[in-house]
Amino acid sequence: MSGPQLYICCGSGGVGKTTTSAAFALQLALSGRRVAVLTIDPARRLADSLAVGPLGNEPQTVPLERLNPAPGGQLDAMMLDMKATFDDVVRRFAPDAESRDRILQNRYYRFVSTRLAGSHEYMAMERIFALYERGHYDAVVLDTPPTRHALEFLKAPERMSNLMDEGVMHWLSLPRDSFGFRALERGSEAVVSVLKRLIGGETIEEIAEFFHVFQGMWSGFRERSVQVRALLRGPNTRFLLVTTPAPAARAEAQEFVQLLRRDGLPFGGFFVNRVLPAPTTGQALSPELLPARPEAIPEAAWAQICAGVRQATVVQARLATAEAPALAELRREAGDAPLWTLPEQDADVHSLDALAAVSALLAPAVAQLSRR
Amino acid sequence: MSLLDKRIVLVTGKGGVGKTTVTAAIGAAAAAAGRRTLIAEIGGARRVHALFGAPESTYKIAPLTKNLYSLSITADEAIEDYVLQQIRVRALFQLVFRNRVMGPFIDAVPGLHDLVQLGKVFDLSRQTKRGSLEWDLLLIDAPATGHGLTMLASPLSMMELTGRGPFYENARLVHDVFMDPTRTALALVSLPEEMPVNETLDLYARLGPYQRQVQLLALNELHPEPFGALELWEQARGAFGDSVAVAEALRLTDRAVARARRQRLARERLTGLGGAPLRELPFLFRRDLREADVLGLGRRLLGDAS
Repeated sequence: MSGPQLYICCGSGGVGKTTTSAAFALQLALSGRRVAVLTIDPARRLADSLAVGPLGNEPQTVPLERLNPAPGGQLDAMMLDMKATFDDVVRRFAPDAESRDRILQNRYYRFVSTRLAGSHEYMAMERIFALYERGHYDAVVLDTPPTRHALEFLKAPERMSNLMDEGVMHWLSLPRDSFGFRALERGSEAVVSVLKRLIGGETIEEIAEFFHVFQGMWSGFRERSVQVRALLRGPNTRFLLVTTPAPAARAEAQEFVQLLRRDGLPFGGFFVNRVLPAPTTGQALSPELLPARPEAIPEAAWAQICAGVRQATVVQARLATAEAPALAELRREAGDAPLWTLPEQDADVHSLDALAAVSALLAPAVAQLSRR
Repeated sequence: MSLLDKRIVLVTGKGGVGKTTVTAAIGAAAAAAGRRTLIAEIGGARRVHALFGAPESTYKIAPLTKNLYSLSITADEAIEDYVLQQIRVRALFQLVFRNRVMGPFIDAVPGLHDLVQLGKVFDLSRQTKRGSLEWDLLLIDAPATGHGLTMLASPLSMMELTGRGPFYENARLVHDVFMDPTRTALALVSLPEEMPVNETLDLYARLGPYQRQVQLLALNELHPEPFGALELWEQARGAFGDSVAVAEALRLTDRAVARARRQRLARERLTGLGGAPLRELPFLFRRDLREADVLGLGRRLLGDAS
């Protein structure tokens, strides 16, 4: 096995994906690897879990030495800064300084670089690729946005390379005063006039200028998106599906796995969060086990507390029963792929120690995934 | 003023907090209160129908129950719909939008996907039938936080991008409606845990000029407290001793108490946000909610108004 491992954590919102990604990355680091974890979730929750300051495009090293015992590995965390990444790409692929500056100042570019559908995802791949290429890391962990976006995410490289299709380029990037453009105006008059009516002439021209200046960069761009696609399907890549037993999350996770399989993308396994362990008994606690009321606790409150304690196992059993069919369903879906369950945490994770506690639960998963 | 007096209610929140359930619940309660209500699922989502045992939603409006209808909007269908309204010639649409060269270009127009979907809802909100408005209330099951916000701001983005022209004008019409607190309300959904509440507060801060439209906060999936006097638990626990027979019950009670405390804290942090009422919904053990459950939740959300 050569080259760094790439783990892509997917799942719908609210399943604890960010925390799981961070804990998983931490566990990789604790096992002695140099690891980078990148979040592209616009909700910016990774820093909360990793207990480092505000995250940005540049790697921030998580202070693992604060853990006891301090591990031999390294963990760097970062959050995708769309604009900065896109600007970097422009700087790298621009043929000359003039084109570079014209692109960076183009109004359409400024919109594209932050808001274009799929560009978030594309830039995440770009960033991952850069990290991957840097060769400094043994493993790169990516925390993707919620599923609906994550589907986009898989399509992003393809979409970008379609966008860069030579056809579109020739179509839109001809200089406005050129013979070609005039011919185009005549030849596709209907098309252009429809676009102008719909979108407005000036906007169309601005977009055309953007494409024109961008033209010099297409080949670099395209090549990159082809490489990214190859990376996603590569032998060192695993897609990990984070979910919970909740019906909506489970349904989306299953849908996602089916999509991965259909597209031949490497599925690494399910992480099922917030699983409620079934209690050893579903019976209420016997009243004989209740102690005498401490004097400091008023009678009415004591009666309620005792009722609460007696019912604790009953309530837990009810919750565990309610989610059992969902777990069975996920196991069926997993087939030969592994499924790891993680018990519900008592509190949100926002200290490194708490994250380390969660990551300890992921040790079997890290071991199993490393054995492949 | 109640949610039922608005034209459009957009429901958003962090992923997984129960936006669809809340949307369906408001819809069920509004319909039961006699409002002709339409639920629009965005981005091709199709989940509302199942709660009412209705056939899967499509772009064509279909009934869910009495007074309540739904449709599922995809960006592609909304673009086609929009363009055909503008140019009225299907062949021309096919020529411009469905060829290999133009497809990606159209995809690349920033914010277009979000805008056309909002535009579709806007159109529906103005649709008349026999001289009066066809829908009393439109509910949007919006995408999760970050994207929901981008979507809400998409008319403004388009206005900034184009500066003028036909697209600008259409975007402005949509913008005017979605910016107007008398016509459009926002309902934010959250869960009684720290991070979802952080995110709700963060979303509220980022709403900027749309803040005044927040007219409902829904706190979803509250578990019953094991007992009311949480502050006495540590003291009471000591009295139980450490026999094996009570260990599991005590451990589970610890968790239930911790959860109840988190729930109280979440409630405290959200109370008063934007002056909007905070409504709480219970955690339901049933895996598959039915229409009656949904209506019950809706009545809690709308309070006296329903």
